[in-house]
Amino acid sequence: SSLSTAAEPWPENAALYQQLKDEQILLSDNASSLAVQAFLQMCNLPVRVICRANAEYMSPSGKLPFIHVGNQVVSELGPIVQFVKAKGHSLSDGLDEVQKAEMKAYMELVNNMLLTAELYLQWCDDVTVEEITHPRYGSPYPWPLNRILSYQKQWEVRRKMKAIEWAGKTLEQVLEDVDQCCHALSQRLGTQPYFFNKPTELDALVFGHLFTILTTQLITDELSEKVKNYSNLTAFCRRIEQQYFGGQEKESPTTAAPPAKRSLLR
Amino acid sequence: MAAPMELSCWGGGWGLPSLHPESLTVMAYAKFSGAPLTVNTINNSWRAPKGDMPVLVSEDTVISQPAKILNFLRKQKYNADYELSAKQGADTLAYIALLEEKLLPALLHTFWIEAENYCSVTKPWFASRIAFPLSLYVPGKMSREALNRILLTKGGPPLYSLTEVEAQIYRDAKECLNLLSKRLGTSQFFFGDTPTTLDAFVFGFLAPIYKVCFPRVQLQEHLKQLPNLCRFCDDILTCYFRLTVSGHSPAGQDTADANLQKLTQLVNKESNLIEKMDDNLRRSPQHPPRKLTTLKLAAGGEESSPMSRLSP
Repeated sequence: SSLSTAAEPWPENAALYQQLKDEQILLSDNASSLAVQAFLQMCNLPVRVICRANAEYMSPSGKLPFIHVGNQVVSELGPIVQFVKAKGHSLSDGLDEVQKAEMKAYMELVNNMLLTAELYLQWCDDVTVEEITHPRYGSPYPWPLNRILSYQKQWEVRRKMKAIEWAGKTLEQVLEDVDQCCHALSQRLGTQPYFFNKPTELDALVFGHLFTILTTQLITDELSEKVKNYSNLTAFCRRIEQQYFGGQEKESPTTAAPPAKRSLLR
Repeated sequence: MAAPMELSCWGGGWGLPSLHPESLTVMAYAKFSGAPLTVNTINNSWRAPKGDMPVLVSEDTVISQPAKILNFLRKQKYNADYELSAKQGADTLAYIALLEEKLLPALLHTFWIEAENYCSVTKPWFASRIAFPLSLYVPGKMSREALNRILLTKGGPPLYSLTEVEAQIYRDAKECLNLLSKRLGTSQFFFGDTPTTLDAFVFGFLAPIYKVCFPRVQLQEHLKQLPNLCRFCDDILTCYFRLTVSGHSPAGQDTADANLQKLTQLVNKESNLIEKMDDNLRRSPQHPPRKLTTLKLAAGGEESSPMSRLSP
């Protein structure tokens, strides 16, 4: 089947599915979706963003976003990168072995710390859960389904947090971890425009998460303040946004001028 | 000076000071940074483990996870990363994340979930180090926690059965080992000539895979095809853990000792011959041959040490 994948060129009607942008999507899913959009833009592969309330259930792995290309459905950034590579497009081919190892390690760092922190904040911090997550997650559904679905998801996420020993952390510790991660990313980026000499999937992933954190209004500003402490990271986000999302109104992840705070949530 | 620090952790075997990756990481870091730790390995006569190992106790502070313990040691000025640049510090964090995400699931699986390994090696070993009746309960609990962790983090769709999850985590682990091998290349440690936090973590994760003799060893076989990683583990064991003696020696250790005895005798015979030859050369300015009598003192130690002394 990988042969048939490679044989077909990238179709015009490729689509990326995520949840409803204004009412439903949560911080972590928005970050992941933006990362994939950025990656595809960097590869010059056009894709339409389609918002559906049941996107999570349509996804083959239950995780978002997923892309529908030809007759294939692939979800999550890792498999999407592999899929795109099978079609002959790759951003990291020019890297040597040691650089590839480094890129993979930094991508794991972002998943391990930033994504987990986002999940913690939106599902384990009681205030955020009550005021933002529950209303948003269940918004397409009538009562009592909305409450049932969001409690079910919350229980699932909390189980996972417990297994990886994050359940015992306080919010301050989680923010500390975010700071440590941003510090590492900032050090690694330095004064360069990208993490390596040209954009790679790592840049897409970091952009997806940091931009979302910077532009999402939560209960407090603490999370975005952690990222703002590092000026090269905010400049990085601005640069990627202008370069890959600037011209197209439809694909733009923002609805007004950067880098002001925007109410993606609430 | 600093207050005395005590580390409680799981003991060792098969030439390792500890079988438990996290305990091993902390012990390695302490050696690298010169922190004076008193290591108490858990055995039957010790207090039952209260929670997760390893645990560092210093005066009134009790700290329990490796990352936190290392932070504490750094605050006490035992810092193995002193000479690292900021970028190298960032790389350390990234590679540790890689180890946790890609290597740890397979490591847990090899120790705690693979049925043959668990029943014949892991469970008896851990049970023998915990007081009855906890020995009936704790290994099972650790095994369940390991399975839980793997299923929750790696086990979602599209992987629907345990065998598919297992195949995926071993693929990830082998790829991770390959990446580590490429990153290490020919250097002695990951950041040059002195070991750092990253070396402690990599050693902590790799050495148990490398040394413990399991019936099902696909990860160990893959690791043995990466000679620079094996050399990395052996170097740290011989340089930093030369004098460690584990409290209990499993059967494997005993046969190793017997072999070591035989090897020592052979080597000593050789050394007598060499001494006679060397008497003739004594006039020239050369080092006298290193006395090999130190081999007899290396109890429960390295079967590799006589080999390393014989090779120039």
